Amino acid sequence: MPPNRTPRWAVALVVAGVAVAFADSSIVVLALPDLYTRFHTTITGVSWVLTAYNLAVAVTALALVVFVHRMRGATLFAVGLLLFAGASVACSAATSAAFLISARCVQGAGAALLLAASLPVLTALTGSTLRGATIWTLAGTFGAALGPALGGVLTQAFGWRAIFVVQAPLALLGLFAAIAVRDVPAADETVAPARAQRIPPNVCIGLLFGALVGVLFLSVLLIVTVWGYSPIGGAAIVSVLPAATLAARPVERRLPPSAAAYGGAALLGLGLIALALLPYAGVGFTIGALTACGIGLGLSIPVLSHAALDLGADLSRSGALTIAVRHVGLVLALASIAPLLAAEVSPAGDKAELRATAVLLDAPVSLSTKIPVALDARTEFARAQTGEIPNLARPFDAHGAKHDPTLARVRDTLVDAIKDTITRAFRSSFLLCASFAAAALGVAFLFRRRGIVA
Amino acid sequence: MNRPRPVVILVALLVAATALIAAELVVGVTHKTVKIADPCEQRTPFPGRGVDATIQRVVLDGLDGAACRLHTSREQLVLSLDGKGRWNAHTIEAVVRGGLLRAVDDAGRNGDIPGLLVPLVRRFVEHAPIRALVEGGIRLRDLIG
Repeated sequence: MPPNRTPRWAVALVVAGVAVAFADSSIVVLALPDLYTRFHTTITGVSWVLTAYNLAVAVTALALVVFVHRMRGATLFAVGLLLFAGASVACSAATSAAFLISARCVQGAGAALLLAASLPVLTALTGSTLRGATIWTLAGTFGAALGPALGGVLTQAFGWRAIFVVQAPLALLGLFAAIAVRDVPAADETVAPARAQRIPPNVCIGLLFGALVGVLFLSVLLIVTVWGYSPIGGAAIVSVLPAATLAARPVERRLPPSAAAYGGAALLGLGLIALALLPYAGVGFTIGALTACGIGLGLSIPVLSHAALDLGADLSRSGALTIAVRHVGLVLALASIAPLLAAEVSPAGDKAELRATAVLLDAPVSLSTKIPVALDARTEFARAQTGEIPNLARPFDAHGAKHDPTLARVRDTLVDAIKDTITRAFRSSFLLCASFAAAALGVAFLFRRRGIVA
Repeated sequence: MNRPRPVVILVALLVAATALIAAELVVGVTHKTVKIADPCEQRTPFPGRGVDATIQRVVLDGLDGAACRLHTSREQLVLSLDGKGRWNAHTIEAVVRGGLLRAVDDAGRNGDIPGLLVPLVRRFVEHAPIRALVEGGIRLRDLIG
């Protein structure tokens, strides 16, 4: 199809599908407390709602590397959309955590199909491999950054099920785009692909997506579960991420590719170090750090994606490979950070409990209030040890904090002390994510002579 | 007007991110955090005047003494008062009562408790249940008042 007859609506529908499929990696993060409450599960259990999707995308995309070039892009895209839409409906109707996690696996498989097939579909719609790949890359980068904010808004406005309800019609609308390119034959990808030169940019992308776990998951977890922001409040804070990613686009276009890749990875790493060194539980520094991360993402991922994609004979397979690598990066980072965070948060909880008691004992309230509140607060802390979310306002409210401004002030001071302590417990995990970004920078630098992104 | 060169923008962004980290380090050093004090060391007494403040000073000082004897913090000891901690009820009772008696004597010497009342308060501390002593400011107030 010649470029001057590009049906823009069809391109827009494919872009929406790609962005949503990438956003789904992190879209439920802000809904995790709601899911946790709804399904009476553990924090580990509810975390599988995230991991299952990314794992399914990674596994399916890896399998697609073998045979995606033998299939018609439009057909595969349509199958992916149908699977994704059906699984989204199933997710929205889930009545148990196990069912939701199973549906998320199917949704992930559908996402991998539609993401891999969307590359040849966009190429057919725009009439240019380069233009198709550029649109695909930008949609994917922006979608990944948008996930938490979008999920937070939907959760707050309509409940967690809305996250999945909204996705189904969006995916089904993409079927019209598949129909628009139904006559385009399968790509001729019979030439032996030059995979070796795609390895360094893919390794960089995998490492950067590993680093993104700090931004897309850890920071959101911190804001919502530790600092206690509502989903919409959390969404407002993390919305700086997609905004910064978008704002970086004009700079990225004018920068030499290698400078964009190095600079983007460095900014992402610095943003993660800034998140690790947050001096207290406050929003100001967090927004600054997330902005750096968003710009870093917007600078580095598009140029690395172009380097990872073979715009000639191996478009579909190189596309499937880079999709797999991104999600392998996410899953491996999640798997390595989860135990680290658990190991840090548990002793931090003990420390926070002692600090909370210290605040109480020094507070200007009567002994007959402070001692029972301290013991009741310990019961709340014990809930966290069994995987529940403690409600530290409860013991205070039970002793009259709602009507006693002095006790309410003590409660707020105590909660701040606890938030500060738990915030510091995230430090090692953020630094581990920053080390992924540093490793990506190192890989890019090591392979600079092979023109990794030039 | 010429647009700034993209490399200049990138360098400015990297400098800004580094400055953000430096600012966090500075604020981190100056930010006041709650510290768990060593119970064996003298600390600033609970502020205020009147009976309530006096009772709090005596009880908190007594808890400090008891925690020092158990080589733990005052906070850890308080969290063990319901018998769910690492010490049994007998041990806690013995050290807390001992700590409170010492604190009453100190308060008597400092003039925080009138000298005439000290024997009365000591007798009360010797016999009242521990939780009532630690939580029961009202009863002590009745006694002192």
